[in-house]
Amino acid sequence: MFHWLEKHPFLFSVGVFLTIAFAGLVEIVPNFAQAARPTIGTKPYTLLQLAGRDVYIKNSCNSCHSQLIRPFKAETDRYGHYSLSGEYAYDRPFLWGSERTGPDLHRIGNYRTTQWHENHMMDPAKIVQGSIMPAYPWLFKNKADINTAYAEQLTDAEFFAVPYNKPVPLKDGKTTIIPMAKSIATAHAMALKEAQAVVKDMHNQNVKDAVAKGDIPEIVALIAYLNSLK
Amino acid sequence: MNKLYLWGIIITAAMLGATYKTITYLGKSGLNGDIINKLAVAGAALLVIITVFVVVKYVRQMQTDTATGELADESWDNIGEYKNPVPFGWAVIFLGTIVWGLWYWTIGYPVNAFSQIGQYNEEVKADNAEFSKKYANIKGEQLVNMGESVYLVDCVACHGLNADGNNEKDAADLNQRISVKSVKYAIEHGLTGKLLGTEATMPDRSGLMNANNNYAPITNKEIDEVANYVAGGFKDKNSAGAKVFAGTCVMCHGANGQGIAGMAPQINGWNSKLIVNVLDYGKVGAIGKMPIMDTLNPKQKEAIAAYVMSLSKGE
Repeated sequence: MFHWLEKHPFLFSVGVFLTIAFAGLVEIVPNFAQAARPTIGTKPYTLLQLAGRDVYIKNSCNSCHSQLIRPFKAETDRYGHYSLSGEYAYDRPFLWGSERTGPDLHRIGNYRTTQWHENHMMDPAKIVQGSIMPAYPWLFKNKADINTAYAEQLTDAEFFAVPYNKPVPLKDGKTTIIPMAKSIATAHAMALKEAQAVVKDMHNQNVKDAVAKGDIPEIVALIAYLNSLK
Repeated sequence: MNKLYLWGIIITAAMLGATYKTITYLGKSGLNGDIINKLAVAGAALLVIITVFVVVKYVRQMQTDTATGELADESWDNIGEYKNPVPFGWAVIFLGTIVWGLWYWTIGYPVNAFSQIGQYNEEVKADNAEFSKKYANIKGEQLVNMGESVYLVDCVACHGLNADGNNEKDAADLNQRISVKSVKYAIEHGLTGKLLGTEATMPDRSGLMNANNNYAPITNKEIDEVANYVAGGFKDKNSAGAKVFAGTCVMCHGANGQGIAGMAPQINGWNSKLIVNVLDYGKVGAIGKMPIMDTLNPKQKEAIAAYVMSLSKGE
């Protein structure tokens, strides 16, 4: 019946390849596409959070801290629910990290507060006895780079279809809208408004003064980012 | 007799002889009367005989066989192919593979597949079951010890090793029920929270009248006095602070600050339910925000409460 196929080895090879490739596509792609969708409740980063993410990367926080909770009881007891791939849908790049010199930070926003971060970044060993984390005092002086963050936000929205200014579904069935500014000037005003909300819970007078003046120190952006990790 | 058969017999005899020699050489008493040794030797002899028999059979076949049967149409570079029927054993295995494939596809894999999350769920279930079984009736000092170990993992980052919250810079000092700073904050700003399990609100200073002062709103001096009285542990019943407390706070917090159910929390000391509510719902106060500790299970929360209460017992 298939003797004709044996006489055309090239055609036969192509046919075998196509059959196996099709089976692979059917098995792998739907699952992969499903897992890559944003999970319900995952929101795009706001402008200030993106700027904070840049501070996080700039200071190489991901060298010592992972952002990936594995499905083991010991980890979920300590950090909360294990990480889902859809939770990284808006991370460019993702910051899974490969080392845990410090603890995992994927849900740090659930169990640390603005004021804790503020004290901790200034002098970690004073807050957590025996901590080997270095201090980051320059975060309180350097200004966050809002321009770059806005450029990132724009790229995300234009090329990666990140839903800014569009309803994002939440866990409780409602939706929320993460706004994105139309111009760089309004972007700065928007970031400042976010910064003011964070600074309300902070104690450092220099930081408060800077924000009152219209500047945004890096620490404010970083805290906004860390608080968003839930 | 064929030369091939002769060689077969010679080789068989030689190998069996070598086997016998090896056995007698290794063990002084031969097979030791052990059934396993006997079976092993019988197996070895059988293997030798079968191997020689099979080799002889096929060498013989190669020497004498001639091909027969109908040739297929194809000629692969002048090499022909016989239309031999599919060997029976091969056909059975082939069909068996198809049947097994269908079973594996529909039942075998879906029912028995490994899943990381599935394994995690089983692990959590087993651990939780063991935990609740082992600590079902934990109490007293054991509960306090459990609370301390949970504290050292989950609470120490903010409240510190001395439980004083780094001098109340990062978190509340747990060695006392309430500090002067916290009492003042509560009176000046009011509080909203779920210390009682349900949403309850304490008014700020504009809503706190002193009955002993013609229902005038509480003054700065009175706030200082009552804060020292409450934070000091309700000691001097004749102090000015005690009078302010009696005039202003008693209605909700009770005569000795023991709290009134559904109205206001206890403020003259800790109770387990109060602490569990703080862990369950978090708290916002003078020092800042306390996060919700939802990775802890109810028993661990109870243990933390016991530990925190044990901290201020000595005073």
